Amino acid sequence: MHKGWRSFLAIAALTIVMASTAVQAEPTDTAVKAAFLPRFARYVTWPAVAMPKGGDPFLLCIIGANPFGGQLDDAARSQLIDGRRIVVRRLDSAAAAGGCQIAFVGGARTASILAALGGKPVLTVTDSDSNGQRGIIHFVVEGGRVRFFIDQVAASQRGLTISSRLLALAVGVSQ
Amino acid sequence: MSPRERVRSGWHSAPIAIFGVALLILLGGIAVIAQNESTYDRARTEQTQGLSDVLAASTAAAVDFDDPAAAQQAVDAFAVNNQVRMIAVYRHDGAAIAGYDRSGRPVPSSISALPDARANVIRVTSPIVQAGQHIGTVYLDIDREAPARRISRYLVISVLFVLAALVVVALGLAQGQLRRVNRELAGRAEALTQANVLLEEQIEERAKAEEQLRQSQKMQALGQLTGGIAHDFNNQLTVIQGSADMLTRPGLAEEKRIRFAQAIVQSATNAASLTSQLLAFARRQPLKPERLDLNTLIRDMRDLLDRTMGERVRIVTDLSPVACRVEVDRAQLQSAVLNVASNARDAMAAGEGTLTIRTRDLGLDEDGKHFVALDISDSGGGMAPEVMDRIFEPFFTTKGTGQGTGLGLSQVYGFATQSGGEVKAVSEPGKGTTISLVLPCVDAALSQPVEAAAAGSGAQPSATILVVEDNEDVGAFAETLLTELGHRVTRAATGEEALEIARRKRFDIVLSDVVMPGMGGIKLAEALAREQPQLPVVLATGYSQDIVEGGSGGRPVILKPYRLATLSEALAEAMRR
Repeated sequence: MHKGWRSFLAIAALTIVMASTAVQAEPTDTAVKAAFLPRFARYVTWPAVAMPKGGDPFLLCIIGANPFGGQLDDAARSQLIDGRRIVVRRLDSAAAAGGCQIAFVGGARTASILAALGGKPVLTVTDSDSNGQRGIIHFVVEGGRVRFFIDQVAASQRGLTISSRLLALAVGVSQ
Repeated sequence: MSPRERVRSGWHSAPIAIFGVALLILLGGIAVIAQNESTYDRARTEQTQGLSDVLAASTAAAVDFDDPAAAQQAVDAFAVNNQVRMIAVYRHDGAAIAGYDRSGRPVPSSISALPDARANVIRVTSPIVQAGQHIGTVYLDIDREAPARRISRYLVISVLFVLAALVVVALGLAQGQLRRVNRELAGRAEALTQANVLLEEQIEERAKAEEQLRQSQKMQALGQLTGGIAHDFNNQLTVIQGSADMLTRPGLAEEKRIRFAQAIVQSATNAASLTSQLLAFARRQPLKPERLDLNTLIRDMRDLLDRTMGERVRIVTDLSPVACRVEVDRAQLQSAVLNVASNARDAMAAGEGTLTIRTRDLGLDEDGKHFVALDISDSGGGMAPEVMDRIFEPFFTTKGTGQGTGLGLSQVYGFATQSGGEVKAVSEPGKGTTISLVLPCVDAALSQPVEAAAAGSGAQPSATILVVEDNEDVGAFAETLLTELGHRVTRAATGEEALEIARRKRFDIVLSDVVMPGMGGIKLAEALAREQPQLPVVLATGYSQDIVEGGSGGRPVILKPYRLATLSEALAEAMRR
């Protein structure tokens, strides 16, 4: 009787540990995308005029729909780009996106926002819910993993240079 | 120290030096290996670190964007190197994203489970940094080179060093050996040179000794010769002087006066015969060669030989009918035969035995010359070899004092060689002796025998005669003789003077000495023949090299000392021509 109780406790504890490990090992696609977004900055070179002034942080802007909630803030907080912090801004329109280095564009207005950003030196990122519209980097999910396309033509039109290391990871590159 | 010992000690010291050098080389090699070994790990680590850094850079994006496939692809590219034992790529949170283990096992999934590197493995780590952010770590294990392999590599190097050292040793030894051999050879050459110098000195000394011996032998022979001449001449001079002394005595009976005069003539004849034989030996005798038949000559001499040999010696002749003719001086040949015959008689005990005279045709010799031999053999006691060696020496004689002059065989030798032939002697004690005269043949006809001089030549007509003679005594004597014979005589002391006189005055005949200072008799005769070809010249000589060698040019020659009859005959003969 006494022995059986102890066994039950041990099994229950083990089950809890395994469950928590499984949750950690399998983050959601959205969380993965949130983790990826700040990291793109490490593989992109902006024109000098588009870089943050002085000790200012990088600006990672979310224009339109925000699928990440607070996850993006958490991901950005732990990242440094050559010693600069990354600050996440939520914007409603492209009008205020002039100081952004990276802009995640989503939702129904994606097409108009991308058009508004036009030839500005901003690394635009889109997701699969963008009605067929694509930014320079476009997330996809393949084989259960988050991957991305890169439009190098659009990048170079905006004066951005993307590292070959990142290009090597892309599932497709428009050249 | 002998050369051999030097060589040995050289052999001992050279290898020590060379082995020392080899040892130094070996130590140097070991030092290089030790140095190599100590730098090996550092160099290997640096090399591996470079690999690891490159891997870290190339996996940065894959780690950042959690792409295990891309990371594994980069790792696999490095795993191609077969010295790579393990590669592990960990994220910043310690989870493995890619890995490779040569054994095939998966790499630990967590960085904390990674075991320490093994002993024979070099481990390097490289942080994965992108834009200043540390995003992960690469672990790279690479094989240290296997000790066995390193040792074998060092062994190869060592073997090379040892081989090099051995080559040095071998070369050194060979060089040393060569030097020693050269030194030894030089030493031997020097010894040889010294021996040669010694030998030359000995040869020189020996030559000197031989020269001295020859000189003393020559002096001995000369002493014998002069002693012999003096002895024989003194005998004759004693008779001449004594007889002349007697002739000067007043009131000497006519019969005694004639006897003393005849004694003087006889002694002078003997003395002339002596000098004639001496000259014959010296081959300075003026010869009057004529062609004659040896067989006839021997037959003609038979009576003379019988008388010379005495009644108890039997004379046998064996004359070859094919014996050729010879061209020699008849009187000299007769004299030679008589000399040999008288030796044969004296050699036969008690003057009893057989004398054999043979003529033999010898045929042609190697040079194609035809020779004939005249052998005269006796049945006497023969000669010992040491006597044989000396029989032709003048004044060498085995006969008792007063019995022989020692000039007989000398005359035979001189006559034979001067006539172009030779003389050979074959003898053995107890078996008799054979003397062979070998003479060259001539094919021409016999000479006409000289007609006997007209008897009573003293009754010839008176003539005008130029007498040329540098010796006052002989000149005065000739003048006295010729004046006594009824001739008119003019005298000249030199050839030049005679030539001068002959141009001024006419002469019927010239009587000239041959050997004179300035122009000699033969030159004078030639000069006169050009100026007065009809003037006959008679030459007189004791001996003359010129006449022996070149002849008298067909002119009559009379030999000194000449007798009255000889002189008048020669003059008459010359004037008849």
